[in-house]
Amino acid sequence: MLDILLGGLESGIDGLIEYLSEHTLTCLIPAFFIAGAIAAFVKKEAILKYFGPQTKKFISYPVASVSGIVLAVCSCTILPLFAGIYKKGSGLGPAITFLFAGPGINILAIIYTAQVLGYDIGLARAVAAIGMSLIVGAIMGWMFRNERPQGEFKLLSSGEGKPRWVMFSFFLLLVLIMVVGAAKIEWVPKLAIIYVLTLLIAYLVIYHFEREEVTDWGLETWDLTKKIFPILLIGTFLVGVLAFFLPPETFRPYLGENTIPANLVAAFMGTILYMPTLLEVPIIGTTFGYSTGVMAAGPALSLLLAGPTVSAPSLVVLWRIMGWKRTVVYALLVVAASSLAGLIFGTMMG
Amino acid sequence: MRIEVFGIGCVKCKRLEKNVREALAKAGVDAEVVKVDDMTAIMDQGIMVTPALAIDGEVKFMGKVPSVEELIGMIKG
Repeated sequence: MLDILLGGLESGIDGLIEYLSEHTLTCLIPAFFIAGAIAAFVKKEAILKYFGPQTKKFISYPVASVSGIVLAVCSCTILPLFAGIYKKGSGLGPAITFLFAGPGINILAIIYTAQVLGYDIGLARAVAAIGMSLIVGAIMGWMFRNERPQGEFKLLSSGEGKPRWVMFSFFLLLVLIMVVGAAKIEWVPKLAIIYVLTLLIAYLVIYHFEREEVTDWGLETWDLTKKIFPILLIGTFLVGVLAFFLPPETFRPYLGENTIPANLVAAFMGTILYMPTLLEVPIIGTTFGYSTGVMAAGPALSLLLAGPTVSAPSLVVLWRIMGWKRTVVYALLVVAASSLAGLIFGTMMG
Repeated sequence: MRIEVFGIGCVKCKRLEKNVREALAKAGVDAEVVKVDDMTAIMDQGIMVTPALAIDGEVKFMGKVPSVEELIGMIKG
């Protein structure tokens, strides 16, 4: 009995070490600061103007597929934006594109996936989320093409923004810190470079930002950390414990090969299961054994795509917003698109 | 007067509420401040980006936190 308990505990701690090791944290911490800066500084209404009822579709679709990176830091902000775009903006198609792509291209998710599961699947996740969201959005927009928006959303202007070069260099410096932090170089030059970059950021913050804005940045970063990190910590531990009792080998017959059924199973599970932000990574890496080579690349990507986009609870909310017909079609399309993307990726990875 | 502050517990939403209370105190206006944090209620109002504020049911702005002075202008206007 004690052996089992100790074994489970050890497996949980191993999981924590594996997923939150030093090189992961050097990447994840700057990513949290970037996400906090996005929440604090990016003027969301400026992007919303591309989602008006009059906006040309060839503009609103592409913008919808990539704007998640600045609009959807937290999944709780996605649904109100989705409802607004659907009911009073560009309509169902672009709204669906935004809904599908948002969680997939969120900066924290991409960085964490790339660091832990590998750069290939991290990149594939971003590319597939954008590509599949365009396809799914366009199909739904076409299927329900006879709908008219119920009015037009008001854009209530938010005043002057900062000069572009300030925002651009600010975010560029933050991204550079993250990249240098993750790079495989000697720690002396690494720290020196990061030190210089930090000084440059300090210069921008002191001379081009208001005191209140900087406080907001700090608070947003802390707020995100508080929301995501404890759950990630506990979740990763539990994933490790679970792996002791339910080894990934259990799933090999279902997810071990890059076949059509395996991809469908993975995508379907992703559609139903609720996975807290970032926890999809250890679930795929350990529970299903992608890191140990048990789970094939295709099903792993299918699950990564379908998982954070929808879950049983979010489907219930979507049902309320757009009715059962569109919700069912959307869920089916998510399964189809995710497994197709998985299949393609799995074939490419051989 | 009834002022509604919409927000899902975000940092800016808390600051907006603080600024609203400060503005009311400075302007010497007596108003009922209601916090709305239910997502469906927020969406029903057509609000897409929080924080947002409505005075007597009319949405005045969303996605930003105006200064206390600006808020006083809105409350008096």
